[in-house]
Amino acid sequence: MIVPLSHALILAAILFGLGVFCAVARRNLIMIVLGIEIMLNSASIAFVAAALRWQNLEGQTFVLFILAVAATEVSVGLAIIVYAFKRTGSFDPGNYSMLK
Amino acid sequence: MAYATLAALILATFLPFAAFLLIMIFTRTKPALSARLSVGAIAVSFVCSVLLLTQNWTAPGPVEYSTQFLASSGLNIQFGFLADQLGLLMLTIVATISLLVQIYSLGYMAGDPGFSRYYAFMSLFAWAMLSLSVSRSLLQIYIFWELVGLSSYLLIGFWYEKFSASQAGKKAFVMTRAGDVAFFLGLFVVLLNAGNLGVLELNGPAARGMPHEILTLSALLIFGGIVGKSAQFPLMTWLPDAMEGPTPVSALLHSATMVAAGVFLFARLFPFFSLSPRAMGIFLAIGTISMLLASTMAMVSRDIKRVWAYSTISQLGFMIMALAAGGYFAGVFHLTTHAGFKALLFLCSGVFIHHLETNDIYDLGRLGSRRFKIPTISIVIAAAALSGIPPLSGYFSKESIITALAGLSNPLWLLAGFVGVFLTAYYSFRVMFVMFFPKEIEPEKVHAQEPYDAGYRAMAGPLIVLAAATVLLGFFEAPLKNFLAGIIVIDLQAPEHDWSHIAALVLALCGIALAWFEFGRRGAEQVGFIDKIPPLYHLFAERWYLDHAYRLFVDLVIDRGISWLLWQNDNKVIDGTIDELAGGTVEGGRISAFLQTVMIQYRLLAIFAVLVFLAFYFFFQKI
Amino acid sequence: MHMEPANLPYLSAILATTVAGLIAIMLIPAEKKELIRRVSAIFSGITLVISLLLFFSYDRSMGGFQFVEDFSWIPSLGIRYTNGVDGFSLPNLLLTGIVFFTGVLTMWEMETRVKEFYALYFLLVTGVFGLFMSLDLFFIFVWYDVSLFPMYLLIAVWGTTRKEYGAMKLTLYLLAGSALILPAVIFLYFKSGTGSFGFVALMQSGMSGTIAPWEQKFAFILLFLGFGILAGVWPFHTWSPVGHAAAPHAVSMVHAGVLMKIGAFGVLRVAIMLCPVGWSYWAPLMAVLAAIGIIYGAFVGLRQTDLKYVIGYSSVSHMGVVGLGLSTMSIEGLNGAVFQMFAHGIMTALLFSSIGYIYDRTHTKMVPELGGLSRVMPVASTFFILAALASMGIPGLANFWGELVVFIAAFRTYPTLGVIAVLALVVTALFMLRVVQHTFYGPVNEKFSHLQDVSFFLGIPRMILAAVLVIVGLYPSILFDVIHTASAPFINGLPK
Repeated sequence: MIVPLSHALILAAILFGLGVFCAVARRNLIMIVLGIEIMLNSASIAFVAAALRWQNLEGQTFVLFILAVAATEVSVGLAIIVYAFKRTGSFDPGNYSMLK
Repeated sequence: MAYATLAALILATFLPFAAFLLIMIFTRTKPALSARLSVGAIAVSFVCSVLLLTQNWTAPGPVEYSTQFLASSGLNIQFGFLADQLGLLMLTIVATISLLVQIYSLGYMAGDPGFSRYYAFMSLFAWAMLSLSVSRSLLQIYIFWELVGLSSYLLIGFWYEKFSASQAGKKAFVMTRAGDVAFFLGLFVVLLNAGNLGVLELNGPAARGMPHEILTLSALLIFGGIVGKSAQFPLMTWLPDAMEGPTPVSALLHSATMVAAGVFLFARLFPFFSLSPRAMGIFLAIGTISMLLASTMAMVSRDIKRVWAYSTISQLGFMIMALAAGGYFAGVFHLTTHAGFKALLFLCSGVFIHHLETNDIYDLGRLGSRRFKIPTISIVIAAAALSGIPPLSGYFSKESIITALAGLSNPLWLLAGFVGVFLTAYYSFRVMFVMFFPKEIEPEKVHAQEPYDAGYRAMAGPLIVLAAATVLLGFFEAPLKNFLAGIIVIDLQAPEHDWSHIAALVLALCGIALAWFEFGRRGAEQVGFIDKIPPLYHLFAERWYLDHAYRLFVDLVIDRGISWLLWQNDNKVIDGTIDELAGGTVEGGRISAFLQTVMIQYRLLAIFAVLVFLAFYFFFQKI
Repeated sequence: MHMEPANLPYLSAILATTVAGLIAIMLIPAEKKELIRRVSAIFSGITLVISLLLFFSYDRSMGGFQFVEDFSWIPSLGIRYTNGVDGFSLPNLLLTGIVFFTGVLTMWEMETRVKEFYALYFLLVTGVFGLFMSLDLFFIFVWYDVSLFPMYLLIAVWGTTRKEYGAMKLTLYLLAGSALILPAVIFLYFKSGTGSFGFVALMQSGMSGTIAPWEQKFAFILLFLGFGILAGVWPFHTWSPVGHAAAPHAVSMVHAGVLMKIGAFGVLRVAIMLCPVGWSYWAPLMAVLAAIGIIYGAFVGLRQTDLKYVIGYSSVSHMGVVGLGLSTMSIEGLNGAVFQMFAHGIMTALLFSSIGYIYDRTHTKMVPELGGLSRVMPVASTFFILAALASMGIPGLANFWGELVVFIAAFRTYPTLGVIAVLALVVTALFMLRVVQHTFYGPVNEKFSHLQDVSFFLGIPRMILAAVLVIVGLYPSILFDVIHTASAPFINGLPK
């Protein structure tokens, strides 16, 4: 094993933290979705590293699932964002109060 | 023979019902046919009832037919016919009066838009009352009792476009209903304690086993029904208002059907009621109060139909007094004679009202009611009978009542009876004198001819028959007594009180004399002595304020009291709670909705914070 | 309990007819309104004929459950599709058939969304029929909900006075009832130890004491309240007048005529027959609530000015009579209660059907705005007055017998409550006569003097209902004979 597991996990943690920060702090919906994607990817890295560490393919399978889910999620999410932008003229979720 | 009797009973009772159904369903638009159906049906009933009466004139005991009707309801109640002396007598009275009134109505109601409906209701009325007279069990009596009430509701409110008519019908129904509820409860008490509702059983052994308090209670409850139907104190105020119906209806209502049903029930259950002397004492008091109160009201009324209505209450009071005093025959005999002359009084008044179009006795006199010969003679005969003048039927029956009252230990009742006799004669001849010796006359009206068209003849015929009956019925006292003695043996050996007979007759003549002095003699002011005492006049004219009291009661206690309170409870308390609950849920949803919208990123942050916290918690817990 | 299998699946045939009618209506284009009405009339007529056949071919000498159909549905849970009728359900089945058919005819003149209306109406009645014939608790629960759900739409879309409020209130109340029933049903299922939802098996465990007394008491009160809400038990009655008033006429007819009977029938079939010990424990409470309902409904009815509210409150009062009969624990009481269910169903259906005719013409159902209608439309008025008389308990019309028998039974068991209930007769007479007086009597209102009386065709539904009222009123044994075959063995078989 070239890269130790701990390094991979630290990288995943840093990426996850960045994703959280992006999702929580940004006021733009697209950036929030980006943040969520980054979090998903950090989880994928953790899965891959763990699969390598224990020589177990289930981790890799999960990553494939996550990729598929992320792709659909992004497409649906972006579609909603586009629709919401058309309706409100804004990317700021604070302006979406019509459900209230 | 037995089958023939049964067949006659079925024919007599059910034909009018068939007529009712046929008219309601098929012939509503054909007045002439409806009238023929109805009169034909009641004529057959009349023939059957007379045949039954003559066939059984010497029969020793009651004939009873019964069948199990409600076997599977869990109640064991027999239905059927009870053709004893009293029942057959009543059947004949009802059939006779109904037939006469229906013939009379051919003239009176001619051209009315509701002619078919009128005859349908008349048939319903006849059916209910005929069946009531030969009912076998108390429950059956109750059923027809209610139907009698229903048909009088429909007939009193016959001209329903008049507000007062529909109001009077409603009042009659609700007030008698109040009495009926007592009757209904009485039925239950009897059923649960005696285990039987058969009339013969109750008059015989079944009631003897009941505890005394229960017996008194059930007697009083059943009497409640009688008070309602026979318009006795305190449920008397519906009867004067019932005048809103067509006059023939009043004639029927006041003589043989509705109000007679009450007294008939009393006579029916006479042996049962006699078991409780305490209850009989109360009945006597109620009869007396009603008799006196109604007489005073009759003294000041100017409406001819109302005077007769008050007199009905008062005469029914007499009957109840007689029965409660133990004078079985006296009560039943007065019921019989009263049916005849009271129907006559109303039918005669109907002729005047129909042609002169007013109810006011002063107006009737002014418009020349004298020129109608047959009604004038008939109504005088009837009024004399009502006052108890010999040799008319009323004299004989009133004498037997006085005899019954004189047999009581307390002379107070006899005294009340005397006062009643005096007042009766006074108020009936007051009407006669005002109508036939008016102070001023409109001459052109008076010299008009008595109309002799077909309608008038249809109306005059029954008058002649009834007048003849009023004259002759008194002489049948002894045979009737023997006939009825088949059931009750109580008052055959009543003591003789000759002085009381003479006193009653003298008092009646005094009443007529006073009426003549005040209203009849040439140059009389035509103002009664009561009219000169305003407080008394108002008290009597306002019917002792009984109606005001009831109206206040219904308005304040029921409408604005209980009903309002419960409605508020429904609206404010129950619905209020529910609506608050629903509103609260919505409000709660709104609060949580506030958390759900807008601050999506704060919630994300919160989720992460919680996740981190939980991660640390479990991590350190492990260690 | 005796169970007699059917040679032909008559009961399923009823359900199949209503479902087939529903599908047929869905397939017809919405513009062909006349065709939709005819198809509805034909299918509902078939159900009426089948229910009449069932009623008259039921073997009264044998009693028990007859025409039984039994198929396994979900074996692992013990759920079976079991249908059968006994003396309690047979009158109700007939009642549903009559009200269903006459309801279709009553709505003949309606023009808005005819297709959807009849489709939902058929769905509603399918649930009602199913509930009356089902012998499996799971199915009883399912049918209960099937009959609830279309009510909301029927009222909210086609209703009149405060329709959204009425529809929502009704739905919430009835769902609350259903939320009480479901746990009780599951509770009984587990406690009986039979692993079956079958009614007969559960009843045997209830009778034999396999379900312990406290369990029966617990389940009974849940079931009584759950079904009781639907039966309009005081103080859970307020949904019913509002719902009556808001609903379109045919739905009012089904609602007051049949739906409230489902509640009472549920109390009888599920609560009472499955938990006899609970019944004897809670019977005094039932009686008190019923007696309050009787007198309370009558007094509140006195203050109403909307015709449908008047009938709604009189229903509360009359359903109290049913409740009182059910609480007496006697053969007479049950006989009278079931009889009263039938009589009240027909009577209110006639009242609402007549009001429907009047409302369609005058566009008001406020009593003070009407008046003198007897002159304008004598036949239509006669139908209403006849039903009003029945509601006052006039002998010769059906309701009298039910009330009489219930009152006698009540008087024996609870004398004081019996007296209170009987006193309500006066108040009922007062408010019914007031309504009749102000609606039909008095001078003709100029606005309405040009209106047509009911034609022969439109009179048919009212004639049917009136004829049933009179026939049953003159010959009550026609019903009592049937009911007795169920009540007598049940009461005699109760554990001492």
